[in-house]
Amino acid sequence: MRRLLLGLVGLLGFGVLLDLAPRLGLVSERYLPPAGRILAALVEQADRTAFWNAVRDTLITWGLGLGIACAAGIVVGVVIGAVPVLREMTASTIEFLRPIPSVALIPLVTILYGPTTITSTLVLVVYASFWQVLIQVLHGVADVDPVARDTARAYRLDTWARVRYLVWPTALPYVATGIRLATSVALILAVTGEMILGSPGLGNSIGVAQASNAVPQMYALVLVVGLLGVTANLLTRAGERWALAWHPSVRNEVPA
Amino acid sequence: MRRHLAVLMAAVALLGPTACGNSNEPAAPGQPDNVTVGVIPILDVAPIYLGKQKGFFSKRNINLELAPAQGGAAIVPAVVRRQYQFGFSNVVSLLIAQSNGAPVKVVCNGNNSTGVDGQDFAALMVKGDSPITSPAQLAGKKVAANTLKNIVEPVVRASVRKAGGDPKTVEFVELAFPLQPAALQAGQVDAVFVVEPFQQAVLAQGGRKIASSYVDAAPNLTVATYFTSQETLTGRPDLVRRFTEAMKESLAYADTHPDEAREIIGTYTQIGADVRAKMTLPKWPADVNRQAVQALADAALGDGLLTKPADVDALLP
Repeated sequence: MRRLLLGLVGLLGFGVLLDLAPRLGLVSERYLPPAGRILAALVEQADRTAFWNAVRDTLITWGLGLGIACAAGIVVGVVIGAVPVLREMTASTIEFLRPIPSVALIPLVTILYGPTTITSTLVLVVYASFWQVLIQVLHGVADVDPVARDTARAYRLDTWARVRYLVWPTALPYVATGIRLATSVALILAVTGEMILGSPGLGNSIGVAQASNAVPQMYALVLVVGLLGVTANLLTRAGERWALAWHPSVRNEVPA
Repeated sequence: MRRHLAVLMAAVALLGPTACGNSNEPAAPGQPDNVTVGVIPILDVAPIYLGKQKGFFSKRNINLELAPAQGGAAIVPAVVRRQYQFGFSNVVSLLIAQSNGAPVKVVCNGNNSTGVDGQDFAALMVKGDSPITSPAQLAGKKVAANTLKNIVEPVVRASVRKAGGDPKTVEFVELAFPLQPAALQAGQVDAVFVVEPFQQAVLAQGGRKIASSYVDAAPNLTVATYFTSQETLTGRPDLVRRFTEAMKESLAYADTHPDEAREIIGTYTQIGADVRAKMTLPKWPADVNRQAVQALADAALGDGLLTKPADVDALLP
């Protein structure tokens, strides 16, 4: 409770600072309007259908990209992680592909799918967030307790049962971390793609506001993207607590 | 697990059609043709938005979709690859594309300067307290251009030349329009070449116009046009004809109804009503000004923007 209160006070303080800086002439009002004007612009945006369409488009690109990346990352991760030969064969390729910044693929996706299409941005989102999930899943699968593994073998569990009762519970905390990382990365890439490629969404609206010299509106939209990020983080954390309720890291009532 | 699989399949199924959605084939008889036009969300394209709203395209059996790209650079390649059937681009970009062998063909005029010195939708501007009063003084000075090696360079040079200065020594600095007012104010550049609504922004911070470069470049300069690819032109001549007709009607309507044009600009940009009321609109004649395009092509060749002459007659309709 105290933490929440202090957090709110901090947020309010930041808002006041943001409001005062331009009013006191520390920065030009033309380039950073006072927070009050930004909030007014936000209220005004909420009246525009175009704004809600943009929010919807960003959520679709983000959610779809994240969904595909998580599903693919988990399946590929469990398969590769479970087969040692596969793991050794793909390790170097993964380490080569993973560091490629997704934005470097912008020229490629523009040629393949055209600018302003949602597919182009989706490819960027999936590419960036897939590795986050995959790497975590690989670590998770490798973390299986050898004694537990031997026990499973001794009980002659079949492949499906081993994945379900041995690999999956071990990997789950890693998967949760991977999904949480991927969630923020996916939002970054969704907005970047929209800004640079012009696919529909909040990123595109920020670009349009900038090209219209509508400075308070631009900051208002940036604020909305930030709020989306915060909400997503809260949701993934809540999901994590729910899925890992049995795990020692979440069951803090049990002394470690 | 089965449910999880179903979600994955649904995601893949959703992704599928968007990846290969294409409208390069004629629609079934009686059905409208789906047409995507690559535009930039600026005031220049108000006629096409207005024409869509007024039904000039739908009455010609065209289901028009406008794809606002961030910056025009991506539009020419997307039209050539037929991801868009038509596009909006400034004349110099098209001249460069054409002289490099890209199969582009102008189908209709886009927008022109007002032709009135001092009252155009674009201006060469300096800071309020700048000692520069004439473009001739820009020799050896820094001028911001939104894109280098494009339309800004020849037209600004035209202003400098006309005022009796040395156009060769002007130094161009690449800076996006939204950044130019601040850069001018901070003294990072000596002059900027801005279009609306940034002309109003520079005026609001006390800046001065020293030339209307589009006007100096050629009388009633055609700044931008709508174009298509040779493939679309030869493959679907009827569609190109209907699009051109609808576009000409839209241009004529916008040119005679400036208030409606100002109104519609507010729907696809975020330009506030106060600025929309003040800003200078371009002219929207239905036909391309051939002589002006030729003059621009000659200037671009002289300035080294074009490495070989562009074939203006082949580019224009």
